[in-house]
Amino acid sequence: MRTPRRFIVALTFVFSSALFAAASASAQQVGTATAVNPLSESTPPGGTTAPLVVGAHIVHKEKVHTTPAGTVQLLFTDKSTMSIAPNTDIVIDEYVYDPNANNGHMLVSLTKGALRFVGGQLSHQGEATITTSAANIGIRGGTVTVIQGQNGTKVINVSGIMKIVNGTGTFLLTRSDFGALIQGWNTPIQDLGRIPTAEVAFHQAHTTSTPGEDGGVPGFTGANIGHCGIGSVQGTNCPQTPWMPSDGGQLDASQILGNATNFGAGQNNPPPPPPPPPIITRGR
Amino acid sequence: MKDRTWRASWNRVAGALAPALLLVVSSLPAKSQTTSDLLNPLFQGILAQPANFNNALQYATLAPASDIESAISTYEQLLFYNPNLASVRFELGVLYYRLGSYEMARSYFASALTMKDMTPGLRQRTEDLIAAIDKKLQPDQFSGYVQSGFRYQTNAALGPAAGTALASGKLFNNSFAARPDGNWFGAFGLNYVHDFEQQNGNTFEASAVGYDAQQFKLHQFDVGVMELRAGPRFGIVSETATGLSIKPYFIATGATLADAAYYGGLGGGLTAHIKLGDVALDPYAEVVQQSFRNLTLYPLASGMSGTLSTVGLQASGPVYASLGFQSRVTYAHADANFNPFGYNAYAGDVWLPWNFSPLGDGRTWTLTPTAGVSWWQYNAPDPTIDPFVTPNILEWRLGLGLEVPIWKLLYLGMLAQYRADVSNVSAFSMHDFSVTAGPTMRF
Repeated sequence: MRTPRRFIVALTFVFSSALFAAASASAQQVGTATAVNPLSESTPPGGTTAPLVVGAHIVHKEKVHTTPAGTVQLLFTDKSTMSIAPNTDIVIDEYVYDPNANNGHMLVSLTKGALRFVGGQLSHQGEATITTSAANIGIRGGTVTVIQGQNGTKVINVSGIMKIVNGTGTFLLTRSDFGALIQGWNTPIQDLGRIPTAEVAFHQAHTTSTPGEDGGVPGFTGANIGHCGIGSVQGTNCPQTPWMPSDGGQLDASQILGNATNFGAGQNNPPPPPPPPPIITRGR
Repeated sequence: MKDRTWRASWNRVAGALAPALLLVVSSLPAKSQTTSDLLNPLFQGILAQPANFNNALQYATLAPASDIESAISTYEQLLFYNPNLASVRFELGVLYYRLGSYEMARSYFASALTMKDMTPGLRQRTEDLIAAIDKKLQPDQFSGYVQSGFRYQTNAALGPAAGTALASGKLFNNSFAARPDGNWFGAFGLNYVHDFEQQNGNTFEASAVGYDAQQFKLHQFDVGVMELRAGPRFGIVSETATGLSIKPYFIATGATLADAAYYGGLGGGLTAHIKLGDVALDPYAEVVQQSFRNLTLYPLASGMSGTLSTVGLQASGPVYASLGFQSRVTYAHADANFNPFGYNAYAGDVWLPWNFSPLGDGRTWTLTPTAGVSWWQYNAPDPTIDPFVTPNILEWRLGLGLEVPIWKLLYLGMLAQYRADVSNVSAFSMHDFSVTAGPTMRF
């Protein structure tokens, strides 16, 4: 009689624990792995390291690691994304986002490698931070590439404002395509100026699939693309210089002419021509 | 008489509607609720089933109208799935271009050109945009346009109807009364920017615009204008806003009328640039010392000389998808040597450029409806017109411009415009319809 009772109690405990764990894990989901090139791995808190697959839930405190061949894109619930280069280690240290109130904060540490962060709701409020051993990089409304290597942390502003803080002070990286280098927590932040096009292209290529890879989702051939290009959805929001046809010199000319007609001409009929000047003979 | 009353009423109604339109358009939300309603389920779909790339593609197509970064995220997701698609790389280039990240945009455009599926049409557009980026990345940047063409006006004088009586009982000088005429015109605009390549974005900027029109018959209305503006722009680094700057500048203007030197202006101003979301605001204040020269045909012009002070606000941004807006509101105060010629003026204009590609070749046409209204209140009665009534003028103007790409940098520009002035002094009331057309070269 006692054995079945023990069994039921044990079963109840296990079942409840599993339910609790599942509910807890579900509550902590902060995003999804939307593209994965092998080998990329993740380690949930208290869990074991396993290969990351497309569609995997990313949870609070999860570690993500890419091997020398692996790349990953993570999509967070606030619509921000991280494209993670090969040989990179990150940890989602903190992530809180309330979609109803549209607020929260995120903190991600980058211990090795490179990533490109494309901002979502949290960064629009200045509540997204990437930390490295050399600096804390606060992101406001923007997109940034961060590289953590042997020489320290390099930050490339793609758009928005990056507030870089370390032991020596604060540096605002406000201009697109400009960068900063932080060699250590107690090293002054160095303004790198404009980052060369080749370097930007290198990091761009490094944070996506290489030819032959498919991010874990085969079969995408790109049908129906052409929002701004030449596809079935035609040109909207295409960059170009707007032209205001009625502005410019013609508008100024109309103004001058209108005033001249109203006032400059005098509105009575033209006066008779002035009489010729008298002829003056100068005597000596 | 009845017709005149009706027209005056209509003019007043239209004049009142124009600023209202300006306000409505300026306050239109850039993000449509409808788009948001469509996007949210699609986004949840990406989170739940990222491998459903048709869902992601639909999201990427809709998102740019309201959320460029989110569209970038999704196109980059699609690029992971297939890195060999020129069109995905092109779209990413366009989106980064719109964010102002020209290096990133260039990187995507350049890589798009190496893709095997690149089509000739897309290649042309990609090369055009790379050329535009390369220009933007130069420390010394030149841009501008040259335009020429013909203009026909129903009232080339911008004067009142022939036979208009003055308070004295005499008739308005017929040489300046409403008469139709055409003209040939030439115009140019040149902008120069020197980028000091500093984090704060300091630049030196200069611009020149010129316009000259030669009438076919009424040469007393031949008019030419040339204006130069230049000054340094100082970027302001802020923790909360990008693109803040202020710019002091000088202005030099010269104009000819009836083929004789007529007007010179010299002054300066201060403007700021502020970005609020997608909307750019450029408030400004300027003071110009105006000098008018008496001509045989315009013997009283020097009375208009004096100081013109203007404060204004220019705003521009997206309305929805490919429809944008540009608007300007101003207040001007003019002192004049002859007090009746001095005035206070309020004006508002709005332009709504709409880009579309009717031929499906990716080349963009621009249709621009315009509307504007001005109100002048003069200082005192003009004794030559009506010694007892201080004039005021309500002007409203409506226009429709179309720019059609022809070949490479060559466009055909067309503009139809109606302008009407309604005044408490009949000599200042007028209306004019004009049509302008000509080729434009942009660089």
